[in-house]
Amino acid sequence: MTSDPFETLGFPRRFRIDAANLAQRHRDLSRALHPDRFVQAAPAERRVAIEKAAAVNDAFRRLRDPQMRAAALLAFAGRPVREDARAAPELLTEVLDLRERLEEAKSQKDDTRRITLRDSVATRIAQSERVIADAFETDVAPTGDTLDRAYEALVTLKYLYRFLEEADAVDD
Amino acid sequence: MSLLQIFDPTAKPTPIGIDLGTTNSLVAWVADGRPQTVLDCDNDPLLPSVVSYLSDGRVIVGTAAREMAVLHPRETIVSVKRFMGRGGDDPETRRLGPYDFVMPATGESNVVRFGVHGRVVTPVEVSAEILKALRQRAEDKLQTVGPAVITVPAYFDDAQRQATKDAARLAGIEVLRLLNEPTAAALAYGLDKGKTRGTFAVYDLGGGTFDITILTLDDGVFQVQSTGGDSQLGGDDMDRAIAEVALREMGLGTVAKDASRVAPELVRAVLTAARATKHALTNADDAEMVVDRSGAAFRRRFTRAEFDALVRPVIERTGTACRRALRDASIDAAALDGVVLVGGATRVPLVQSFVREVFGREGLTDIDPDQVVAMGAAVQADILAGTQQNDAIVFDVIPLSLGIETMGGIVEKILPRNTAIPAARAQRFTTYADKQTGFELHVVQGERELADDNRSLARFTLRGIPPLPAGGAKLEVTFRVDADGLLTVTAREETTGIEQSTEVKPSYGLTDDDVERMLMDSFEHAEGDIFERQLVERIVEGQSLLSATRAAMAADAALLDEDERAEADGAIAALAAAIAARQSDMIKLRIEGLDRATTPLAERRMDRAIADAMRGRNVDDVAEQVREFQGVDAHTEAHAQARAGEH
Repeated sequence: MTSDPFETLGFPRRFRIDAANLAQRHRDLSRALHPDRFVQAAPAERRVAIEKAAAVNDAFRRLRDPQMRAAALLAFAGRPVREDARAAPELLTEVLDLRERLEEAKSQKDDTRRITLRDSVATRIAQSERVIADAFETDVAPTGDTLDRAYEALVTLKYLYRFLEEADAVDD
Repeated sequence: MSLLQIFDPTAKPTPIGIDLGTTNSLVAWVADGRPQTVLDCDNDPLLPSVVSYLSDGRVIVGTAAREMAVLHPRETIVSVKRFMGRGGDDPETRRLGPYDFVMPATGESNVVRFGVHGRVVTPVEVSAEILKALRQRAEDKLQTVGPAVITVPAYFDDAQRQATKDAARLAGIEVLRLLNEPTAAALAYGLDKGKTRGTFAVYDLGGGTFDITILTLDDGVFQVQSTGGDSQLGGDDMDRAIAEVALREMGLGTVAKDASRVAPELVRAVLTAARATKHALTNADDAEMVVDRSGAAFRRRFTRAEFDALVRPVIERTGTACRRALRDASIDAAALDGVVLVGGATRVPLVQSFVREVFGREGLTDIDPDQVVAMGAAVQADILAGTQQNDAIVFDVIPLSLGIETMGGIVEKILPRNTAIPAARAQRFTTYADKQTGFELHVVQGERELADDNRSLARFTLRGIPPLPAGGAKLEVTFRVDADGLLTVTAREETTGIEQSTEVKPSYGLTDDDVERMLMDSFEHAEGDIFERQLVERIVEGQSLLSATRAAMAADAALLDEDERAEADGAIAALAAAIAARQSDMIKLRIEGLDRATTPLAERRMDRAIADAMRGRNVDDVAEQVREFQGVDAHTEAHAQARAGEH
């Protein structure tokens, strides 16, 4: 079932992807395959259409999200990210510290501080994503140090994005 | 606008849209590109969703049934939608209401059961009566009625959706698609306003359900971004709030929460009066509630302020769902281009001001909030039945996460909420004991961490796993959700490559056997036995498949190699022969055979459509070609031939 989301949607194996193009491609393919088009068709076509439509939806989900896109790229390059991949101690310390400061800001209802923290993490995220983007710039998969750095960057992203979620979750 | 409708025997059956609502139901169709609702003889489009079972066995649906509610409260089922897909001991059955609930016997499916005059009926059967009445209405107007799109609340879970499909089956209605109500409303609005672009929220508060859907409309594509709601929250709860005050003041306060201790007649009378009061307070600042009791009438004045205070908690529950839906869609209320109000309960002034509070703008009510859903369903039916040139297409999502129960009762989410449908995802499992040949999966739906806190959907038992040491079997279980939002589960054992049989036991639903039995019992099928009906169904299916395949071969036989073509031709001939011989089991076998033989063709046609779409070619041309051959013609022809073979 795990197919190549890049192949499914017809995009090169790069990190940088134009969001509008991606959405348009998803829409175009979905229109061609949507079950609504095959309501009256033979069961074999309905089945094939729905399988491919589901695959297109899944591919879109995986390419739209930067983390998942990076994970797919790394997997193809031979460095799949493990579920339990742990960050370097420095990163862990940094994240713990950020969390503490976020808790403080939240308990003091200091929205300005919360937003400042959030924005600084957003900047770090952009930096990590740049590392990944540079590693996967061409059709040639990265190796050696470049690949390692990309791997580290993705692990970092995992922690930073989680922090961002916490920073953004205001009520509820 | 036609003044005279002349019956054209060659006309294709008209596809219809059905809004099976909690309080009222409607049926609509598209004429001259515009959707319209079917009216009754009083020019009313609404059919009250009330079903009354008489002691002589007759069943009444609609306004007449509603009139019987107070005198025959136990046998008149109001708002049956609130019980669809629910188990016999669901909390809904304990809310204020006059019914006689019958618990399932051991071995019986766990569904709500109403005791009426010694009979027992399930919500599926009650809903089927409403659907039959709607179909009749449509037939009176349109002569021939085709397949239908039936709407369901976006927040309906798998059991509730399946129940709706079962009801349609009992009513003899062919379902093209289950369509989510907010999406239907968006379709009606989108087409009403011409091809607009933008992001809209649909706030749909009906008699028993609340849905909030955020969707984008762009170039004829309706894409749902997120959906949320509460399938047990609606106008009825406002009625109950008022009713409880009345009962308290009648001296029945301590028993108001336990309806079984109040005479059902009184409960129904109070609820009816409460609803009337709610309606009156829409336009007036105060209203008098009158409950007829044998002897003195109970009268009580309610001011708008008091009413607002009573129903505010009900309305505020919609706020949480709204904020979460906005968050899930990653959008701010300010960025919306409009908020569409759907459902009768949105007429309540407090609801409208609440919408203003949450979304910062007035809700749109251009299209009658009672009719808009049925109209949208008719539009979709028209599109799906292939009679329309409109290429509007709907991309919807799953409203609730689907997961399985793992060790310790924790849920592992397989398909998270707001995943676009159709969706498919696989999960790997293995055995935990040596030579284990069976495996049970408990599927739940919902957002909570613990399986027990979520809605149990079904238990799937996988059998036929090869006896290997523990951990040796590689089971791949795939969850698929189709365009109706319904889940199917398949499993493969990877070391042997065998597809495992999955037996599904729905937690809150009827089994196929139950529905078969009900079909047998119903008057619709009193003539002919189950085998006859099955034969006709199979012939229709076979004819339909033959037409579709012949057309596909005529267009694209070149995509197959010689051997494949020969196989397909052989399978076509074999099926045709079985149909001619009217041999039921052989037909079924040959249908499967032809299906297999045409799979390569289907795959290559699909690949071509994909390649064209990638190139940005006008995909609609290809789709049109494909549809041309497989339109309603094949279907009606098949039906006609099957019937002809019968008589």
